[in-house]
Amino acid sequence: MKIQIRPVIVAALCAMLLSGCVQYDSKRGVEVKWQSVITEQLQKGTSTRGEVLALLGPPSQIISLDEESVLYYLFERTKGNGYILILYNRFTVDARYDRAVFFFDDNDILRDYSTHIHEPEDK
Amino acid sequence: MSLKISKLSQAVVTALLVLALAGCTQWRYDLGDHLTHVNLDKLQQGMPLSEVLDIFGPPQRISASPSGYLLAWEHWQVDEDSLGIRLGALGADILSLDWGKARIRGEFLLVTFDREHHLSGSTVSEWDNLAGGGQGIQPFIGVVSMVDIDDLVRSMPQNSWGATSLQELPRALNTQSSPLSGQSGMEQRGTPASIGQKSLELR
Repeated sequence: MKIQIRPVIVAALCAMLLSGCVQYDSKRGVEVKWQSVITEQLQKGTSTRGEVLALLGPPSQIISLDEESVLYYLFERTKGNGYILILYNRFTVDARYDRAVFFFDDNDILRDYSTHIHEPEDK
Repeated sequence: MSLKISKLSQAVVTALLVLALAGCTQWRYDLGDHLTHVNLDKLQQGMPLSEVLDIFGPPQRISASPSGYLLAWEHWQVDEDSLGIRLGALGADILSLDWGKARIRGEFLLVTFDREHHLSGSTVSEWDNLAGGGQGIQPFIGVVSMVDIDDLVRSMPQNSWGATSLQELPRALNTQSSPLSGQSGMEQRGTPASIGQKSLELR
């Protein structure tokens, strides 16, 4: 009637020791400075490209169309988490993009702009 | 009787070991925010750029074009599932069994504007389909990945915009014509490099 239970316990312990969980995040891009308190200082038709650059710093991307120009700001936030149970492993990765875009005419005057800062759902 | 139980326990241990050598892994990617269908109906020919920005916010992709601007908003969900069995720990390091598949769902809205910043066209696409997969028996080492989604989950091109001009020649010569530069159109995630204008890039 002697049952060889030790190998079972050892196998279970090994499985427990090898399991784990992970959490990480990655941030890429420029610092988010386009909160509404800052962009409220900007006025379409009067603010200049220099003023935008002074407020927000160097952009992620500059685009030109003849004499017009566009400043594009991007901050990419990626959050990942997962659990490792050896038999079953699952990882989720969520990427959200805080961004701002500014269009200037041929006199470097702000013509159109838009900003977006992602609000976490659990807020 | 003792012999039977002993054999039973050995079988259980063996079964547990085999199970421990098999693994199922799932990756779930959610990139960007959903596009709201109600907002898509608001798009009209001739609409000013400022109104479109008010509705959708800043685009995720933007480029100048000979006739004006291209703006794009996108949302991607990529699911990757894989299952593998490795027999190496049992002394049979010569064999691995693998299975994998990937599924993608997404939305992509492209809006074009003329030089006066008025909407000249728009198109939206949605998809929900398999992005590939496979199964295999590979001896000694796993050479081939059953699922490859790296090109679908890359960081946005704006993050490497400045760096593209600092590459060694001849790659730096691609910068102005690259769809990643913002000056020569755009491309969606996962577009093969062997088609379109990227096929003309110097390497």
